[in-house]
Amino acid sequence: MTRKKIILSVNGVRNEIEVEAKETLLETLRNRLDLTGAKLGCDQQVCGSCTVLMNDLPVSSCSVLAMDADGCEILTVEGLGAGGALHPIQQAFIEHGAFQCAYCTPGLILAVKYLLSRFPRPTEPQLRHYLAGNICRCGCHVEILQAVRSLARRAQENQL
Amino acid sequence: MGLNRFEYIEASSIPEASRFLADRPEEARIYAGGTSLLLLMKQRIARPAYLVNIKKIPGLRYIDKNDGTVRIGALTTHHDLEFSPLIRRWLPVISELEPEVANIRVRSTGTIGGNLGFAEPLTDLPPVLIAMDARIKVADESLERLLPLEHLFRGYYETSLRPQELITEIQVDLPAPFFGIKYLRFSMGSDKPLVGCAVGIRIDPESKLCVDARCVLGCVGPTPLRVREAEEALKGLPYRVNSSAKAARIAATACSPLTDLRATEEYKRAIVEVLMRRAVEEAFRRASSKLQG
Ligand SMILES: Cc1cc2nc3c(=O)[nH]c(=O)nc-3n(C[C@H](O)[C@H](O)[C@H](O)COP(=O)(O)OP(=O)(O)OC[C@H]3O[C@@H](n4cnc5c(N)ncnc54)[C@H](O)[C@@H]3O)c2cc1C
Ligand code: FES
Ligand code: FES
Repeated sequence: MTRKKIILSVNGVRNEIEVEAKETLLETLRNRLDLTGAKLGCDQQVCGSCTVLMNDLPVSSCSVLAMDADGCEILTVEGLGAGGALHPIQQAFIEHGAFQCAYCTPGLILAVKYLLSRFPRPTEPQLRHYLAGNICRCGCHVEILQAVRSLARRAQENQL
Repeated sequence: MGLNRFEYIEASSIPEASRFLADRPEEARIYAGGTSLLLLMKQRIARPAYLVNIKKIPGLRYIDKNDGTVRIGALTTHHDLEFSPLIRRWLPVISELEPEVANIRVRSTGTIGGNLGFAEPLTDLPPVLIAMDARIKVADESLERLLPLEHLFRGYYETSLRPQELITEIQVDLPAPFFGIKYLRFSMGSDKPLVGCAVGIRIDPESKLCVDARCVLGCVGPTPLRVREAEEALKGLPYRVNSSAKAARIAATACSPLTDLRATEEYKRAIVEVLMRRAVEEAFRRASSKLQG
């Protein structure tokens, strides 16, 4: 079976890894790079618990071949925050109690990061729409939306 | 569950991809975004021995307009379409629809070539594109041909393409003046559509009568369904509640939805009728609104 050395930049760190054709990006991140933030849920692009950013766009890492990510920049939840400080999105999730078991949280935080990078002050329909593909089985969607609204408000205040 | 073993090839040109496919017609599959294909492979419905990644082929990801035609490269993603200023300007019905497709992650990787080439009944783009008389460009190792998109679809997950052929481009002529189009889809949450309905109406600016119509349904049969009888029911008439209701009844009867986990056949027919009525009304409104502008 095809094996190939790929170059994967993950959270700013360049990795050279030999992967198999059937390996998913999620498997590479978790099993070879020990980055266990992204999680396997549905395995079919529905739940979003495996969400990572690939060249700044959210993807389901359960459904991207590692070989296909060759040369890409990957951001996982482990790459957020700097110098031990939490990223503002992480902080907002804590302040609003936007999780219980937190299985969905790493994926959701990256989905929120994409949303705010594209729409710094999302409208209510936009934020509901762009987060609808990330499912929280503990049912924290109300708190998640509150956390994101607080970030959007802050973005607005900084603009003024 | 993970994936079965397979060999992975990156093609660097269309002839190279085509030759590889021609040599292994039963075993090799084109791999674009992989959104649909990997799912089938995980479920062991498809077991290709070779995946031919076509994303390294240069020059297949673009959105251009020239000579009154919008050309979309096969590797253009849903996300590209969603945010393209050119699409928003010239084919706004597609900008309107794209945010509804799947979720943001599928849109980031899924391509228009894969959306059409998969011939899955539960998709959004085919009815809209057929209502605009879209064509596709298909290429193999040495030849290129154009075919109406309508002629691509043969049955459930079945196209008229030969194994060695790739879709390379989608072409849509700019809508005629006084043409209005509306697409409506019904789905539960951010999921595949349960019913999709595209209606295009061209009116005569003087008489305001409908001179041409397209009524295309998605998800309620093995292929997108052009309901010609409904189109005929609209032609030669101005917008009337009665005639749109008649076209909608014809569409609800003509389609062949299946009862599945999501809804019964009867329910889907009822949805078709409602969507068709509303889409006809809105398409007429859009066609007439161009009378002022
Ligand atoms: C969770 C989920 C939700 C979805 N929801 C929607 C929805 O709401 N609406 C909608 O329209 N679609 C939906 N889809 C389908 C999605 O649009 C398509 O999966 C996507 O556009 C396919 O593109 P791809 O590049 O990923 O194709 P791939 O998975 O790479 O390929 C799909 C098939 O097409 C063939 N193929 C690929 N490219 C070409 C080409 N250039 N020429 C010929 N054949 C080719 C492949 O061989 C394969 O058989 C959904 C998919 C998922 C997984
Ligand atoms: S595990 Fe990838 S989307 Fe659910
Ligand atoms: S917090 Fe448990 S799944 Fe979201």
